Amino acid sequence: MNVAGADRNRQLVTVGIGAMLTLVMGAVLILGFRLATQMRASVTGLQTASMLQTYPDAISQQLNSLRDRLEARAYAGQALADLKVTVKRFDEELEQLGSGGYLQSAELDQALLLWHQYSPVVQPVVNFTGQAYVDSDDAGSAFSKEGRVHYADVKRAQLFATENARRLQQQLATVATTLQQSSSDGAARLRTLLLSGVLAALVLAGAAAYFQVTRARHERAAKEAQEQTRDILKTVREGFFLLDADYNIGTVWSEALTRMFSRQDFAGLGFEDLLKDLVPPNTLSTAMKYIKLLWGERAHENLMKSINPLGQLEITMDNGHGGKETRYLQFDFHRVMGPKGIKHVLCAVGDITSSVLLAKELQESQESANAQLDMMLGMMHVDPLQLNSFLDTTETGLQLINAILKEPARADSEFRKKLNGLFRELHSIKGEASALNLMSIAHRVHSLEDMVSDLKKKAELSGNDFLPMVLKLDDLMAHLRGVREMASRLTALKDTAPAAAAVTAAATVAPARAAKQAAANEQRAQLGKSGDDLSPTLHSMAERLAHDHHKRFRLTINGFADVPSSYVATVKDCVIQMLRNSAVHGIEARETRKAHTKDDVGVVRVDFRKSGDGYELVFEDDGAGISPDALKAAAVRKQIITQEEAAGMDTRAAMALIFRPGFSTQEEVSMDAGRGVGMDVVARSVYALGGKIGVSTNPGKFTRFKIVLPAAEAASSTAVA
Amino acid sequence: MNAASGKVMKDSGKKSFKLMIVDDSNIMRRRIERSNQLDELELVGTASNGLEAIEMFKKMDPDVVTMDLTMPQMDGIECISKLVVMKPAVRILVISALADKATAVEAMEKGANGFLNKPFTDRQLNEAIADLMR
Repeated sequence: MNVAGADRNRQLVTVGIGAMLTLVMGAVLILGFRLATQMRASVTGLQTASMLQTYPDAISQQLNSLRDRLEARAYAGQALADLKVTVKRFDEELEQLGSGGYLQSAELDQALLLWHQYSPVVQPVVNFTGQAYVDSDDAGSAFSKEGRVHYADVKRAQLFATENARRLQQQLATVATTLQQSSSDGAARLRTLLLSGVLAALVLAGAAAYFQVTRARHERAAKEAQEQTRDILKTVREGFFLLDADYNIGTVWSEALTRMFSRQDFAGLGFEDLLKDLVPPNTLSTAMKYIKLLWGERAHENLMKSINPLGQLEITMDNGHGGKETRYLQFDFHRVMGPKGIKHVLCAVGDITSSVLLAKELQESQESANAQLDMMLGMMHVDPLQLNSFLDTTETGLQLINAILKEPARADSEFRKKLNGLFRELHSIKGEASALNLMSIAHRVHSLEDMVSDLKKKAELSGNDFLPMVLKLDDLMAHLRGVREMASRLTALKDTAPAAAAVTAAATVAPARAAKQAAANEQRAQLGKSGDDLSPTLHSMAERLAHDHHKRFRLTINGFADVPSSYVATVKDCVIQMLRNSAVHGIEARETRKAHTKDDVGVVRVDFRKSGDGYELVFEDDGAGISPDALKAAAVRKQIITQEEAAGMDTRAAMALIFRPGFSTQEEVSMDAGRGVGMDVVARSVYALGGKIGVSTNPGKFTRFKIVLPAAEAASSTAVA
Repeated sequence: MNAASGKVMKDSGKKSFKLMIVDDSNIMRRRIERSNQLDELELVGTASNGLEAIEMFKKMDPDVVTMDLTMPQMDGIECISKLVVMKPAVRILVISALADKATAVEAMEKGANGFLNKPFTDRQLNEAIADLMR
């Protein structure tokens, strides 16, 4: 509805009616005035004419009386004076009537004409001033000479009067009648005029009243509409506003907008200024380009909707308590078309924070469900005995970690010692977890390791720095409990449905072998742990390593059945660490191997055998070998040795660097390498058993580690010490 | 008709709109060519990068262009700005695997008229081209 236009029309009509009323009343008044003036003249004329009618008769009678007096030679002075007055007044008033312009009538003209004939006859009589009589003794009073003339004049006038007085009177009577008629006509006209004036005024007043009423009704409707609009804008949950061609916000917006943006000054605010402090510059620039495109009519609405970059806008703003708050807003744009193309762009803003967060939560829980499923599938491939033994060791490890955390410490050096202890424990748990392909556990431990690394870099340490680790540790323990529960369920499942277990096992090994292996496992479990249990773990770890690092190699393990149970843990830790080193540093990428005319698939061999009184473990890969110069360079970079020390080192000394704590040639930290914990841990555990470790290499050809361990009994006594 | 890269198609002059396909993938070019079911549109040339596209454009003067964005030598966005200068009335449909809205807005700003995400169905392609020629 065009409210402004209708309003203007109504105003025009009101003004028109007022003007008409004034014009009509003015016309009525002017015409009435003129009519009244005419009427007054007519009435005056009428009075004059009525009076004039009596004069001819009076003149006639006065002439008769004058003649009688003259004939009787009586005193005629008074009669003459009366006649003189009458004639004079008649003449004057008749002239006045004729020149008054009250009316034009033939009768008046004739009366005047007649009077003009009459007047010369009567004039000599009235003009007489002499002595009419002469007194003599003999004859008494007689006419004087001029008296005789006077007498003759009187007789002639009297004769004329006798002949014409009635005619003149009749003519004057007609004039009076005419005047009376005209006067009554005028009165009738005035009445009509006044009546029509009143009617016209009434009609116009009626029209004015009608328009006033409709106007009031329209105003009421407009006000109501305005109120409704305001209510809508106040209540609606979306932020609504219009953008003009300069991308400025209009003067009307919904209240939700103030809540969304925590501001009030929207009128005339540029769209760019609205978003400026809330979104990164890139997003802002894209948004402004998009708004510009909306004003061009090149692209149709659907396309514009599909490329809307503000469909889910992440904004960061102050939450009013000094902090920052992230919210998600959805902007929708609609073009408002006018007769000359796009008039406005209507912008609707919705706060979709809760639905976005819900979607994220859903995704996270989906991911965690997937991870759990993955873990379960992973666990199905792990031998239950191994899994249980892993869970036991890990629990012990975590208890140890807990104990380390609880240890009282004040000095920085004590804290550092704590960190180192934590690091070793975590690293070994991670190694076992990834060996068993329990990645959910390995990842958690990895992130704990990250925290320890960050703390190590910190200049000043305090007890509070360790608090986040406690939380994380709790999470890890809870996770381990979950794993244990799942493991027991799996075992229960396998116990109740051996057939199903066989099918599951068939995925990796033939059913017959699985059954045999299960029997062997049971047997071994009774005897205690044996090195033979290690092979599957190490093989599966080798597979994962190969996959993760895009390498191809074959692992062969010999003699592990002879590993004494007291050495199993150490042998496992050492082989896992060396296997990692081979996968990450040793075995080359396939292309590199080809280029060096090596076999596509690398070979890693682990041999365990009795040697003299003790045992010998040889670990060998046919990878790139270790370059003493690279070792020296890395050690210098890590400030383990100085440049001068490096220069003075021979090959043997350089090779020994890999057993130094904190040494790693891998620049990037990954699950498998780069922490600087590695061969030093291996070396330490070997020394702990009273053993020795050595390395030999041929760059480009192989790396070989040789570990010599004493007899098991001797080892256990050393280990206790 | 084989839509080999840089190949000039025979222009029979019967159809009212000339189409050029720009995409660095041969498979994608054929895919677009085969999907085109619009009678009034005739393929007059294909190109596998921005530079080729400009050469082909000069030669064949197409009315409608489908444009990939990530291409060697000269990318789609740059190519669009050049084509629009050469012929302001040209209609360009961007067909890209880049799904972010900022890229689409950028392409539209440079002068594209439509945007279609890979992968697409035949119907989506035909609708997008029909929208383009409206």
